[in-house]
Amino acid sequence: MNPHTEDIELSRVGLPPEEKAFQWPWQAMKEHNWSEAASRWAVVRQAYPEKAGTWLQGAVAHIEAGELAQADVLLTYARKHFRSHPSTFPESARLAMQQHKWDTAHDFLQQARQQFPNFAQTWMRSAEYAEHEGNLKQTTAYNEKARQCDPALSAPFIQYAEMAMRAEQWSEALDRWEEVRSRFPEVPAGYFRAAEAARHLKRPQEARQLILMHQYGADIFPNTPQTPISQLKGKKHATLPPLVELIWTKATFNLRSEVHRNYLSYGWWVLEPLLHMVVYYVVFGLLLQRAGENYPAFLLTGLIPWMWFMKAVSGSSNSILGGQKLILQVGLPSIVFPLVSLLQATLKQLPVFVLLVGFVWVQGYSPGLHWWALIPVLLVQTLLIIAIACTVAAIIPFVRDLSYLVPTGLTFLMFVSGTFYDYRMISAEWQGVFLLNPVAFLLKCYREIFLDGMLPDLLPLAWWGFGSAMICLLLLVGYNRLRYIYPRILMG
Amino acid sequence: MKPIISLQNVGVRYKRQGNVFRPANYFDALKSINLDIYPGETLGILGRNGAGKSTLLRVISGIIQPDKGKFLNRGASVSLLVLQAGFDPNLNGRDNAILSGMLQGYSRQEVEAQLNEILDYSELGEFFFEPVRTYSTGMLSRLGFSITTITSPDVLLVDEVLSVGDKHFKEKAERTMIAKIQSQQTVVLVSHSHQQIARLCDRAVLIDEGVSFATGDPHEMLSLYEQRLEMSA
Repeated sequence: MNPHTEDIELSRVGLPPEEKAFQWPWQAMKEHNWSEAASRWAVVRQAYPEKAGTWLQGAVAHIEAGELAQADVLLTYARKHFRSHPSTFPESARLAMQQHKWDTAHDFLQQARQQFPNFAQTWMRSAEYAEHEGNLKQTTAYNEKARQCDPALSAPFIQYAEMAMRAEQWSEALDRWEEVRSRFPEVPAGYFRAAEAARHLKRPQEARQLILMHQYGADIFPNTPQTPISQLKGKKHATLPPLVELIWTKATFNLRSEVHRNYLSYGWWVLEPLLHMVVYYVVFGLLLQRAGENYPAFLLTGLIPWMWFMKAVSGSSNSILGGQKLILQVGLPSIVFPLVSLLQATLKQLPVFVLLVGFVWVQGYSPGLHWWALIPVLLVQTLLIIAIACTVAAIIPFVRDLSYLVPTGLTFLMFVSGTFYDYRMISAEWQGVFLLNPVAFLLKCYREIFLDGMLPDLLPLAWWGFGSAMICLLLLVGYNRLRYIYPRILMG
Repeated sequence: MKPIISLQNVGVRYKRQGNVFRPANYFDALKSINLDIYPGETLGILGRNGAGKSTLLRVISGIIQPDKGKFLNRGASVSLLVLQAGFDPNLNGRDNAILSGMLQGYSRQEVEAQLNEILDYSELGEFFFEPVRTYSTGMLSRLGFSITTITSPDVLLVDEVLSVGDKHFKEKAERTMIAKIQSQQTVVLVSHSHQQIARLCDRAVLIDEGVSFATGDPHEMLSLYEQRLEMSA
């Protein structure tokens, strides 16, 4: 052993195992950092000069970096010392082709095909050569062999697709890239190069999808036509029945929401009117001594229908402004909002009404046939509430200042409607005028039914019902006419 | 192919409400918009803040009518993708889902039939039955997005592709959105992310100061847009 080889042996003390050492240049290869890879292979080659890979991969890195002269040196050495390595001749042929030494390449490839007919590289380089020769049939045949040699290797399949790309057979290329994707979903070329082919075919949407598939995975676009979770098509509030359903749902849900906010929850629905009654009873019954017999019953029969009216009107007066977001975002018709508010107020009054009936009964005003008149009275009041509440709600978005007048107006109306006093207490000549106020008239009807045990005046009732119904119809037309106006006003 | 929605020289003028001290004045949000939307395409709308993009979406969705020009919808249902439409913090997730779905034009029965899918998609579990005021922001947007997955109008308007929830849900939502946008559905997409327009759209239209001044390939429109931004900068 000459001292020089001994030095080399000694210098190897503490070397990492070869697989570990090779990881370092391989890393650079994977990052396509070719000149860095070439220098790393050079370093590793110092430690493992007997390993064919350090020479051959070093040559590959140099070729990719365009440093053909260095690659030539390494491959010449490899052909001398590693003739039996399967990569030696294919890589040599590749270099020769890059250097345009076609005869040399031809010889190398012949050698490779004889020695390593089961090695994919052999056939891939052969296909490259044949393609240069313009022998398409041969090219395809060689590439097919390469694909058969090692179906787990992506390069032959990529070569197959690239062949079609170079031949500008775009749809053929698209099919071949699809095969690349199905076998090697992680190979980016399967998406990006395929997208290029799709663009050549003037199919930009497909091209875009291919690139998105690379980012999000191939399963983002199912092969079957895209089915959203549901095939429902929004009807966009076009017809009345869904609108009625929406109004009902929204009103009941609003009530549910309101109830969840308070500790006493549903209790307030009854408690609130009772507290009002206590206030009026203390003021008018006890302090002013204006109360006649059975003042609580008198007060309740007026107060409860009044509160229904008052809550419905005041609740819906600003409702269109409150629905601004929904009107602008989902194009909900504006009439929905006052209707929701007044339905909400109405539903809240129902239990109180039942209590009222019970209370009156307990007080000794027994029910009779005349109680049937409650049905038209309630109906007329409903129509009247819709007419007034929707009219107020319709005007306020145009003149927002009016919303300040609503509470004042309602208070005035309460005082002139005989909520807590009997209309017969005012002078006789004014009673006729007084009863022209529909709320006053309705309260009179309730009291006649409950307390006086008689039928109310049905003719004026019918007129009020008819008038309110007409206004409701006009409102429907009006809201429909204004359906493009409200969004404008709400945006300004 | 015939466009399903056409806008010709469309203009929209707002009235700015006045008061005792200041008279009302007018503001042209859109001056002249020319635009065709073809079935199945994804159209991107590019424009800086205040260029009139939101107003344009309102015209396309049929919520407002233009003051001048022609707007033509050949029978397509159009809706804006709205997250958390009409949410009430005191209601639970389920009730909000029903309400929100109904507000977007479905019957209660239709929405109720989809509730399990909404629940699964949202990954809210038992929280679905708790008031949404107890939700974290992420949970809220998860619920909001899940409800929109059931909607499928002919033309979907998307104002900014949504990024919602935590990382995992964000990816899931993004996948769903992209699948939806790339499907046969017609989509109009407004986004500040140029990359997103380039990635997702077939065509793009440039809007500036209420005028649509160019329509075409998204990549070309993007470079044009950038030139214009530089010019005015």
